[in-house]
Amino acid sequence: MNTLQVQPVARKVTSVCWLPPRAGQAYTDTELYFVTGSSARHKELVLWTTRNPDFESESEPSAEEKTLATLVAKATHDGDVHDIAVVSADVIATASSYGTISIYDIQHNSLKLRESVTAHRFSSGEPAVSTALAVQPVNSSDAEIASCGEDGRIAYVPLARLDALQAYEVDSTVVTGVCWPTPAQVAASTRAGQIKLFDRRSPAEVSAVFADQTKNYSFECITSHPSQSFRLATGTDTGAVLLWDIRNPKKPVAEVFNVHESNVWKVRYHPTDSSKIVSCSEDASIAITQWSSDKLSATREMHHLSGFFNALSIGCFDVCPFTRTNLLVAGSDSGNILMAKSESTEFSLF
Amino acid sequence: MPRKRTDKFVICRDTEAVTYLEPGLFPAGRQSEWTEQNRTLTFSIHPLSNQVAIAVAGKQPSESLAQKVPVYEQDQVVHICGLAGVPDNRLPFVNDTHAVFRTLQKIMETSGEERVAVGVDSLLRMSALYREAMLRQIRVLQEASDVTEFIAGEVDTFHSMHAVWHLLEIIYLTTNLPGLSTSIVPHFMEWLNLNFPAPLAEDGQRILANADLALNTELWPYMRKLALRGHVSVLANMLERVGQELSASAARWARDVAKIARNMPLGSSEETAGSFNARWRRWNEELQNAATAISSLLPSDDVALEPLSTVVDIMRGDADAISAEGESWQDILGALLLYSEPTSQADRLPSLAGIVVEQFQAAEFSVLDRALVALLSYELPEFLVFCNQIDPWLSAHMADLMDHISILDVCRAAFAVDPREHYLLALGEMYVGHENLWRVGLDYFGLGGVARCVMAEYAMRIPLESDAKARQVLGVCREFGLAMAVDRIHRQLGRQQWRRGRLGAAIAHFAEVSDRVSIGLICDQLWDQYLESGVLAYGPVIDSVLAAGLSHDRLQFLTRYRDFHESYKAQQFVDAGGMLLSILVSEIAPPHAVADLLVDAIPLLEGDVLVFSADQTLVLMRYAEALQQSPFPTRGSSRLGAVDEGELNIFNVACARNLARSFLV
Repeated sequence: MNTLQVQPVARKVTSVCWLPPRAGQAYTDTELYFVTGSSARHKELVLWTTRNPDFESESEPSAEEKTLATLVAKATHDGDVHDIAVVSADVIATASSYGTISIYDIQHNSLKLRESVTAHRFSSGEPAVSTALAVQPVNSSDAEIASCGEDGRIAYVPLARLDALQAYEVDSTVVTGVCWPTPAQVAASTRAGQIKLFDRRSPAEVSAVFADQTKNYSFECITSHPSQSFRLATGTDTGAVLLWDIRNPKKPVAEVFNVHESNVWKVRYHPTDSSKIVSCSEDASIAITQWSSDKLSATREMHHLSGFFNALSIGCFDVCPFTRTNLLVAGSDSGNILMAKSESTEFSLF
Repeated sequence: MPRKRTDKFVICRDTEAVTYLEPGLFPAGRQSEWTEQNRTLTFSIHPLSNQVAIAVAGKQPSESLAQKVPVYEQDQVVHICGLAGVPDNRLPFVNDTHAVFRTLQKIMETSGEERVAVGVDSLLRMSALYREAMLRQIRVLQEASDVTEFIAGEVDTFHSMHAVWHLLEIIYLTTNLPGLSTSIVPHFMEWLNLNFPAPLAEDGQRILANADLALNTELWPYMRKLALRGHVSVLANMLERVGQELSASAARWARDVAKIARNMPLGSSEETAGSFNARWRRWNEELQNAATAISSLLPSDDVALEPLSTVVDIMRGDADAISAEGESWQDILGALLLYSEPTSQADRLPSLAGIVVEQFQAAEFSVLDRALVALLSYELPEFLVFCNQIDPWLSAHMADLMDHISILDVCRAAFAVDPREHYLLALGEMYVGHENLWRVGLDYFGLGGVARCVMAEYAMRIPLESDAKARQVLGVCREFGLAMAVDRIHRQLGRQQWRRGRLGAAIAHFAEVSDRVSIGLICDQLWDQYLESGVLAYGPVIDSVLAAGLSHDRLQFLTRYRDFHESYKAQQFVDAGGMLLSILVSEIAPPHAVADLLVDAIPLLEGDVLVFSADQTLVLMRYAEALQQSPFPTRGSSRLGAVDEGELNIFNVACARNLARSFLV
């Protein structure tokens, strides 16, 4: 098991995402920025900076350089931060425990709330937790955010006009994750172990439902392949990562990897090498699983990352897609930021 | 009659403390005037967190008072006050040490399963990790930009915790490592110099830089401190340097003493005790000779000779000189060990510590002193009590470590309760109410026995702000086998989701604990909604639940009834009829729905196609007869649900016609 570097930050980090670099403006290539969202006592968004490992010297780092990340700015957040999605280099969207979707601007090393809207409510009027959100993969200002919640709804929020929100009840349990396999298709995972597909043009109707017929799972999260829209991955409450190929409706589950001992809170395809799946879990570890669509040459390697001084659940992570070196940042319930770096050529870690 | 005497410690859980509200709820100094107006304070403590709700209340109900009492606006407010909990700057320390605690428990559990004794080196490694976390915390606190009184207090507490922990480590772990010298002395000196301010090299340089060195008043106290703390090499350097500034006679002796100091024998694990003792005796004789020679020159006009003589006396282990010069009992004990008994083992500490401590006023001792003395004297029960006074973290983890070293049984005999369980429980209680530390708190409860029961009670009270947190709490409960807590939490969540109108989620929670009654009631609610609206809208609810593999009569009824409608819509009347009949025959429908099912059969009975055979029609008629003869209204006020008698009569006629048709076909 490889080791994650640990930096205590005294707040429960529940969400994290890298920001795209903006060379020549606020950011330089030698510095990378990421945002963390925290919960419980400290409901905050924090902007951090860290050195770009592509430019790091091989000499022994100084004490200052041993610090993983330096706090740049922070802003209070309305409720626990359940998810963060990057809209652009200077705009992020967040999902909160009060059911709100908020848009924050990142300007001159500061985080500023632009606008927010309540997207999830129970029929009793009580706010429902927004469990996850995803930004429509289109390069235009009229992109939408899809968010899901404990009220069983998926809400579509146009970035340009948050008040033009549309919400549809799609499940009677909790919708735990949402992603956009294509700009016109939304996939959601449910607590009852189903994947539901929706066509954005008729969002109230479920266009397809997939479930594993062999075993009852409860899904915690979902993600789509970066380029093959028919490939999805879900994380379960039993510690398994399921790969789906929804071209085959009779047997949509392509593979099951039992990589963790407990709930898989987040799963992502590696942004630059989609033959690997990264997942984090309640068992305080991050797993990197090698899979391949070609079953004949399939090599099934698995690596776990953990930190000795991090005993509790790792609830979020993000792999930096902008560096040559593999760079992963994660957050945990133990109040730590965790980081792992490795050269691209070195498969031992990634 | 002899008085009953108890020799067991009873741990006082509630240390007396007075908390003042700032600002107060009534004007300062006007308490009596305030209470005369029928007013008092009432409070309620939160069951989980460190919060108290405080409000002004009337001593007697206002209705029972003869005259009307004025009502003030400020008395209508309920104040929520947070009692001192875990400060934010402690969170990294709590999390770090929790990780070590978990690893230590895992090591012990594994060894228990495999029946292998855990090596001292494993325990020592864990102990060092605890100390590392304490030192890191001290460093972080000292680096804080704003050192407040509170932070200064925290630094002191952590210094004390480290001193106590380190001493226990050297007595019970370091000196028990296989293959190393078992003498406590070098470890004790290391402990002394690390935990209590040692003479600083900067001070020495500052003193040496002074122009008139021989007359510097700080010089000899510094040298004596060096001698007491065993810094003989530094002392030798200083003496040589000072010698250049002294008179010829004093300078000669300073050089000689420096030379002897440099040759002080150091023990090693490869050398036998006999060989070391012989070397030590020779070195001590040299010092003795030097001491005799210097004292023969006294009294002298040379001001350097007397302090030099004192330094030599300290080094030759003269108890009087050491006692006279040592500022603290730790210094004296260290110097005595180093110069008088350099091969002492840990078991020599109690008697030697007793002799040294007698020279001090015990009443002036701090809690740290008391804890250290208790540990040195092997008074372990007292030691634990003092540890708790330093910090609850220390007593909890210390009791745990002592249990793993197998020295806690002495305390178990002396305490009225198991000290490890008690202190860990107290620590867990402190953490479990904290929003960030509830998971850490639960881990400290996971010891079995009483702690498990307490854990279950707390687990059921942890606020479940989100579904993910609920799953985390349930996961912990399952891990520790708290079946009752799992049951209660699921029922609570089920009711919460039901109230919120999330019927699918509610059924899923009730299904986890096999609460078939609640599931039945929810299904009835779905059925009622259908009867009320006429729209079969419960499909998605039951689909989600059925996808999770749940099986329940009422769910099956709702599913088959939906299938019946779908077949009917698709004009597959024979299939629809078969479906309806199977619902009735399998008796999965609630009694109050039977009438509706029979009415649903009318279009099939009256249709162009013959759906029901003679036998099947007779079955339907039997159900109608049973329904009409049923003496008990099953639900609501009528046994017929939403159906009236007229509809049932139509059903009877339709059955008769269908029966006739079936005989003809």
